Amino acid sequence: MEMLLQFLSNTGYYLAEYRHVLMILVGCLFVFLAVAKEYEPLLLLPIGFGILLGNIPFFKGFGLGIYEPNSVLHYLYFGVTTGVYPSIIFLGLGAMTDFTSLLAQPKLMMLGAAAQMGIFFTLISALGLGFLPKEAASIAIIGGADGPTSIFLTAKLAPHLIGPVAIAAYSYMALIPIIQPPIMRLLTTSKERLIHMPEMRHVSRREQLFFPVVALLLCCFLAPASIPLLGPFFFGNLMKVSGVVERLAQTARTAIIDTATIFLGLTVGASTQADVFLTSKSVGIFALGAIAFSIATASGVIFAKIMNLFLKEKINPLLGAAGVSAVPGSAREVHLVGQKEDPTNYLLMYAMACNASGVIGSAVCAGILWSFNIG
Amino acid sequence: MYGLDAISANNGWAQALAGGCIVLAGLAVLSFIISIFPKIISWFEPSPAVGVSEDEPKTAPQLKVDAAMSQSLLTDVNTAALIYQSLAHPLGEKFSLKELYQLFNQNQVPHPHLIIRGFREEGILVPIGDGIFSWKV
Repeated sequence: MEMLLQFLSNTGYYLAEYRHVLMILVGCLFVFLAVAKEYEPLLLLPIGFGILLGNIPFFKGFGLGIYEPNSVLHYLYFGVTTGVYPSIIFLGLGAMTDFTSLLAQPKLMMLGAAAQMGIFFTLISALGLGFLPKEAASIAIIGGADGPTSIFLTAKLAPHLIGPVAIAAYSYMALIPIIQPPIMRLLTTSKERLIHMPEMRHVSRREQLFFPVVALLLCCFLAPASIPLLGPFFFGNLMKVSGVVERLAQTARTAIIDTATIFLGLTVGASTQADVFLTSKSVGIFALGAIAFSIATASGVIFAKIMNLFLKEKINPLLGAAGVSAVPGSAREVHLVGQKEDPTNYLLMYAMACNASGVIGSAVCAGILWSFNIG
Repeated sequence: MYGLDAISANNGWAQALAGGCIVLAGLAVLSFIISIFPKIISWFEPSPAVGVSEDEPKTAPQLKVDAAMSQSLLTDVNTAALIYQSLAHPLGEKFSLKELYQLFNQNQVPHPHLIIRGFREEGILVPIGDGIFSWKV
């Protein structure tokens, strides 16, 4: 009888608190959004299930939890805390990304840079709210709307915030269809949304081959701390465009990125254990994340409007919203908003150019913030 | 510490300003370099036309449509549709716009985007779902 009572006192049912129940509900919501609504299922499904996994109450000391040394989850989480998974994901992203639209319209790269202003605005806001500089930098990077970049920088600067930062970043990426269109409509006139982009010129293979090498050297000389992200990213792209290692490129954009995504999503979800996740800091991070994302969108759109003051050939300012690096969600939203105004306006390729630029921009920003906060 | 004091004490203004300027300047330089790629490449290998792919065939295929012809066809969409439909015959009855674009590119049809857009606007290319299109019968 005593043994039975002891066993019962070790079960999750006995150990559960209201916080565990709350987090399990959040996990269920993520799984529901992924499965029923198909909101970013590749991310929300593993994260949602990870939240369920991480919030099953257990007796501490058994080596079960993600924060307990020698547990299986702890070893898998190693890829997050060291920044290995984000680097691997960037390798796959590079092997997937087509830069031809960006090479054909280089001026669109500036929109990817402009949309990063949300990061620096949030940095100031987070400092003003009392976050420590390293924490503020980790929260600010949410404005880049790039999950792996956010996780990478947070792992380096404020590992204790990985859970809330990652969940906030991915949540807002999933909520792009709700967050971005109102901002785009608010900041543009109907006439501006009707602007058609010029036809793209043909981009030679040689240009495509030059780009990853030149971009790597330029960006990484500028911000060497972005090497772990941009190095694999441009290497993946070089494998893709070179055409001589198609087998490797194919593996990078399928098996490798998928494996890293599974383990990253699952362990980031599991890292949201109720006792470390449900804090007042998490609430602040979520609020600042929303502001960061909104300002990033707005700054891209406003910068496009400013560019139009000087350009002979106007660009559709909606494209500025795709300067955040949420690939391809924000590009899709820009295209849809443009099509609502004029069904014959095809902005997708141009928006993808801004998206690709946003990926580079947010990785450079991560490198800059890391450099500022080293030591 | 909170508010403006916290921002100043942690070098927040300087970090934000410097960070913003660095990323803008960095990508502006990259953007400029990309824009002169065609010129740089032409130095390495002088070619008759800048921006033309080196892996494209030098001779035109059998169904080449020249620029002047394309312009005139754009003004008479129905006539153009008949010619372009025959050009797109290898794709069959159902195809994606990407396949059609690639075929037009292979045949060196000038302004393939414009032509496809024109056919879409005139209802000559009709969507049949799942991103697949067919010619209006």
